Amino acid sequence: MELFVNLIINGLATGMLIFLLAAGLTLIFGLMDVLNFAHGGLFVWGAYAGIFTYMWTESFIVGIISAIVTGALLGLLTEKFIITPVYGNHIQQILITLGLMLVLQELIKVVFGPNGVAVKTPSYLAGSWEIGDVIIIKYRLFIIVKGFIIFGIFQYMLKRTKIGLIVRAGVQDKEMAQALGIHIKRVFLYVFMVGAALAALSGMLMAPYSGVIYAEMGMEYAILGFIVVVIGGMGSFSGSLLAAILVGLAGSFMAYYVPVLSLAVNMILMAIVLIFRPQGLFAMRKERTS
Amino acid sequence: MNKKITLRSIAFFLLLAIFIILPFVNDSRTLLILLTQIFIFGILAMSYDILLGYTGIVSFGHAMFFGIGAYTTAVMLKQMDNTLLIFVLSIVIGMILAGFISFLVGLLTLRLKSHFFAMLTLAFSGLFLVLAEKWRSVTYGNDGFTFRAPDLFRDRMTFYFFVLASLVVIFLALYRFVNSPTGRILIAVRENEQRTKSLGFNTLHYKVIASVVAGIVASFAGSLYAVSLRFVNTSVMAMDITLDALLMTIIGGVGTLVGPLLGSAVIEYAQHALSGLARDYPIFERWIIFFGILYILAVIFFPKGIIGSLRLLFWKWRGRLKQRKTTGPLPQEKERFE
Repeated sequence: MELFVNLIINGLATGMLIFLLAAGLTLIFGLMDVLNFAHGGLFVWGAYAGIFTYMWTESFIVGIISAIVTGALLGLLTEKFIITPVYGNHIQQILITLGLMLVLQELIKVVFGPNGVAVKTPSYLAGSWEIGDVIIIKYRLFIIVKGFIIFGIFQYMLKRTKIGLIVRAGVQDKEMAQALGIHIKRVFLYVFMVGAALAALSGMLMAPYSGVIYAEMGMEYAILGFIVVVIGGMGSFSGSLLAAILVGLAGSFMAYYVPVLSLAVNMILMAIVLIFRPQGLFAMRKERTS
Repeated sequence: MNKKITLRSIAFFLLLAIFIILPFVNDSRTLLILLTQIFIFGILAMSYDILLGYTGIVSFGHAMFFGIGAYTTAVMLKQMDNTLLIFVLSIVIGMILAGFISFLVGLLTLRLKSHFFAMLTLAFSGLFLVLAEKWRSVTYGNDGFTFRAPDLFRDRMTFYFFVLASLVVIFLALYRFVNSPTGRILIAVRENEQRTKSLGFNTLHYKVIASVVAGIVASFAGSLYAVSLRFVNTSVMAMDITLDALLMTIIGGVGTLVGPLLGSAVIEYAQHALSGLARDYPIFERWIIFFGILYILAVIFFPKGIIGSLRLLFWKWRGRLKQRKTTGPLPQEKERFE
């Protein structure tokens, strides 16, 4: 029983981290129809910028803010120079963002050095509580709570506010939204920046969780994020949450019961979902013919 | 028409003659190894272009087939014997295996749209990478293993000629393939899949054919690669190999067979030169940055690559010549990515 609860908490924590990563992807894909392969690069930049600020100022919260700002700034540059020329062209989008991914990953090594950096959890989040035989690691609980809060905020923004209305209108019909006087290009830019900031934030939060950051982690986690987006259905926010939790739980249970398969379990999940339901579990709309 | 073909074949034979004579003129070992590497990756990039340039599908799982070839050859040469017969046999088995797997994977994945297809190929190649890492009794995991190449290939020169000959054979075979009716339909799929479908072609069928051909050729390149290093580890399955093939194809020129070869030459040479420079200037150690930037610029400004851009210039120039004589429409190149 205790084991069961522990596995569930681990799975939830991992799932929440992946959700934060996937949320940015799904936001960008849902509105802009851009599959951003450079998302992992933004993720790793967030991790490095945040952790270095954290080590410098010794304040975890300043580190988180610095990660978010870095993400948003990189998102601004990326949208302006990389994404704008290739709107509406899927193959070119895939290729160009992949190129950016390479550049971002290598730049990390230039700016912050090629070696991995060990990361400590801030003291007030380190350690764990014991309730009976159940051990709850504080940081994991922190991640889970944070994940749900961010999900709540975004859900509220998208469903209840004017900004959300505009974004949803853009998703439904870009041309019509523009005809009604919405500056859709600027909305795209903001959405991309928010998505990038989310990627950076998840990188920052991931760092103390995994204990070490290194340049190649961007691609590794980005693949996980893609898997979640694909399973949940591209563009669906709640789909991403559910898929992320599913992937997290599957990972944590497999790692315990069938360790051999743990590395492959996500891939298998995605392959199964895609083969039977190519649009994902919660597709927001039918994929347009491209 | 006739004149153009002779011009092309003259260029072809001239280049071939240069590459045959070259090792006798300049017996530098590094040059020989570099050229061998260029040829091997040229084969891989050509196979990738069958997918990207001719059929218009982005696969992130190409390294999987490269790895299948490399491992089949390496394992057979190590476990059985390092004779030429085993080597040839391993190439054939690798190709059959790659063809079979690309058939299965293609059948499962090719009905999906571009994004989803790319993701799923990524997933499949990820599975194979995990398999190669976990199946330690055969693959020795991430450490890899060394093996002995067939005696004949001890001599770098013989191997060079073997690779060159393979390149020529593959090039001619693929040239036939893309100019065959099947190849034409692949181009039609690239240009407008919906229309090709409504003309009565089963596009899935043709896309699977493209993926099988690309998989088989990639496996062949993998076999050669393993023998050239006499060592194999899981890096042959890694994403980097797919990225290399992608870069070569994009920079050289998509939708041509010469383009990927040129791209392979450019990238392998630049890699070689820049890593040489890195000894003096540490910034060049991160040569991937330059490539990344070059590649981004190429996608934005020269989506047709070196060959495509040159060809466009050539068409324009010829169009202008013709326009002086007759006032016909300019023969325009069709846009590649659509």
